[in-house]
Amino acid sequence: MGGVAANAEILDAARVLLKLDGVSKEFPGVKALSNVHFDLRAGEVHAICGENGAGKSTLMKIVSGVYQPDGGIIVYNGEPVKFTSTLQSEAAGIAIIHQELNLVPHLSVAENIYLAREPRRGFLVDRRKLLADARRCLDRLGVDIDPTRQVRSLSVAQCQMVEIAKALSLNATVLIMDEPTSSLTEQEAQLLFRVIRDLKASGTGIVYISHRLDEMAAIVDRVTVLRDGRYISTDNFNEITVDDIVSRMVGRSLEEKFPEPTRTPTEEIVFSVKGLTRRGVFSDISFDIRRGEILGFAGLMGAGRTEVARAIFGADPFDSGSIALNGNELTITDPRSAIEAGIAYLSEDRKAQGLAVKMPVDVNLVMANMDAVSNSLGIIDRQRHRAAGQRYVDLLNIRTPSLSQPVRLLSGGNQQKIIIGKWLFREPRIMFFDEPTRGIDVGAKFAIYQIMDELAARGIGIVLISSELPEVLGLSDRIAVFHEGRITATLKTSETSQEEIMLYASGRSRVGE
Amino acid sequence: MAEITNEKPPEAVQVNRLSDRQKDIIQKFAAFGSLVVLAAVFSITSSAFLTVNNGMTIALQVTSIGLLGIGATYVIITGGIDLSVGSVLALAGVVAALAVKELGLPIWIGMLLGILTGSACGVINGFVVTRLRLPPFIATLGMMLIARGVALQITGARAVSGLGESFGELGNGSLFRFESLDDQGFPVVSFPGIPYPVVLMIVIAIAAGLMLNRTVLGRYIYAIGSNADAARLSGVNVTRVTAFTYIVSGTLAGLTGCVLMSRLVTAQPNEGVAYELDAIASAVIGGTSLIGGVGTISGTVIGAFVIGILRNGLNMNGVSAFTQQIIIGLVILVTVWIDQLRNRR
Repeated sequence: MGGVAANAEILDAARVLLKLDGVSKEFPGVKALSNVHFDLRAGEVHAICGENGAGKSTLMKIVSGVYQPDGGIIVYNGEPVKFTSTLQSEAAGIAIIHQELNLVPHLSVAENIYLAREPRRGFLVDRRKLLADARRCLDRLGVDIDPTRQVRSLSVAQCQMVEIAKALSLNATVLIMDEPTSSLTEQEAQLLFRVIRDLKASGTGIVYISHRLDEMAAIVDRVTVLRDGRYISTDNFNEITVDDIVSRMVGRSLEEKFPEPTRTPTEEIVFSVKGLTRRGVFSDISFDIRRGEILGFAGLMGAGRTEVARAIFGADPFDSGSIALNGNELTITDPRSAIEAGIAYLSEDRKAQGLAVKMPVDVNLVMANMDAVSNSLGIIDRQRHRAAGQRYVDLLNIRTPSLSQPVRLLSGGNQQKIIIGKWLFREPRIMFFDEPTRGIDVGAKFAIYQIMDELAARGIGIVLISSELPEVLGLSDRIAVFHEGRITATLKTSETSQEEIMLYASGRSRVGE
Repeated sequence: MAEITNEKPPEAVQVNRLSDRQKDIIQKFAAFGSLVVLAAVFSITSSAFLTVNNGMTIALQVTSIGLLGIGATYVIITGGIDLSVGSVLALAGVVAALAVKELGLPIWIGMLLGILTGSACGVINGFVVTRLRLPPFIATLGMMLIARGVALQITGARAVSGLGESFGELGNGSLFRFESLDDQGFPVVSFPGIPYPVVLMIVIAIAAGLMLNRTVLGRYIYAIGSNADAARLSGVNVTRVTAFTYIVSGTLAGLTGCVLMSRLVTAQPNEGVAYELDAIASAVIGGTSLIGGVGTISGTVIGAFVIGILRNGLNMNGVSAFTQQIIIGLVILVTVWIDQLRNRR
């Protein structure tokens, strides 16, 4: 750590690239930011931490010209600036990697990277230079993506890498990264960190927004905490603990990241999958879920964890294999038959697959079990509908102004709780949680972990699919490790380590068997 | 699990921001308000506008747009579109007329066949959209050409007339018509009655509105338009529900065809050209979003009346048909623009 401290001293003298003073922004009815200060020096990584809704993304949208501030000043390279569009800020050397992916699916990787900045030869696009330049950007990141591939054929993680490559191609002096690792695996994140260190060395200032506080130690120099749109503090990262940051973010101290388990795993097998195969995607997948336990699915992005869960849920087909609940073999042809059988799947992409975001809270909560709130003619019983909605809002402590609030206006954590509530209302026997805490703030994560633990304690079989290894280790009782569509090991959490799991996940299989 | 409570400071709760329900009400009143303004303006400019007779005329003229608009609303809420209704109504009308004239079937059976023809077109649209997975625009564009072609083919492109007085009953009769005879024995109409088509539209609009709002099927229609993937993963039979909306649209087109032909007591294979656009326009003016997930029947009925009153009032003021088109086009643009402004953040 001594090196970092020395670094910080040098940084104190470093040139200030960007300075925000007393910035405020108000949306109808919400004070998104009030009097926020922030500065970024050349060659540093400055992290912004805060819960969802704390104003991090709003602040960055102001810097990049998406929003105009209501008050305060922005000084860039020593001069006050007012950007009114991202084109202006990009031209000035500020690039932003958005949390939501902003790629055009039908264009190639190379075309996306240089969208609206294509190298030209006369009136025509210089395709050869385009490809060569794109390849150089990708190589610099160390990712193996063919620049001629269409973006829509890429995985989420690959899209994220393309976004990053796109931002790098701008040769920006200020680079803003909004949750760049949220869909990356450990390995890919390490690649990104290496690039970040290179950029630092070359004098680029990096604003780094992330929920993953653990990973920050590897790259971050200073950290600014925001809470409810207000500025809380700025510190050198090596002079503050992660716990301090978290307690400033939530305004209280968090003793632990994971709840004390209340469940007691038994040996009784409630759910069993044998030899499940989908050609070209996964093969010979076998695992059991025991009463009272949480089973983790670990593995790299694209190892087939989500695909297996979706096949069991009937969302995708499979070629062979059997699925049994309490010893009775199930015939699953589509999600409806899986739901009938008592299986629930909470998808990794909440907005795209889990919620009707324009619709109200209560409507989403009862969506998977309309029969329970309607009569035999299919007419909705409004009282039962409302009561069911209210029950799960109370039970899961969902923060919403009313039952008729459209879910898109709620935070990620509350949205996830709504999806959990939707499935609880069906009283499922088995629940697959696919990346349940992605993009969710620390406080809400803890609540979701607690809920999962309690569900397991009530005898519901829980499967946790997560790319965050600490989460899998902290929450599951046993862990099935996936590699390229196969389970390479099933480990007891108490007897394994992050290193051992990574070993199996990277394919060096059956060493310890 | 009540003990899962996390002491967390209250989030920046987004007060003051309008809920969608409130927006919905504003939207409805905005459309309704413009309807009232239109009526007021026309009442001033033309003395004949605000009369019971003219009111019934407008209502009668609005029925076809209204009925088609209800079907269009169902389809558009799922995120689809139905371009075939104008042609389907012509086909349905000539099928009903031919069944009566050529096959000698009773009128009500002829009409039923006409309506079922519309349903059949809807079934095919639904099949092509959900099973063959063609984009709704293309699927119903194909049906639009096919249905029109069949209608022209089976009639030899000639109008089917000589259908008899009673074929006109559905289109020209009315409920609660009061007449009396004066001193010379001439009939005096004290109340013109509510035309059957208007009664039909009111009943169907109420039924369709209740179905959308109060039933599981209606809820699924919104859910599919809002997020088809989420709906499927929640166990909704997306295929069947989507197909259902096309069947509703086709059936209502069939019914509209029968009503129109009955009003003219003649079946025209060229009837209803471009009616699908009026139907879509009424839905859109009434606040239905072409992206799907949003829309109400009451809005669509108001939208249909906005178009109907505009046409009627402009006619009375001697505005040419060409100018009318321009004005209605502008009204569509402005209403949707206002809607966009409200939803923009």
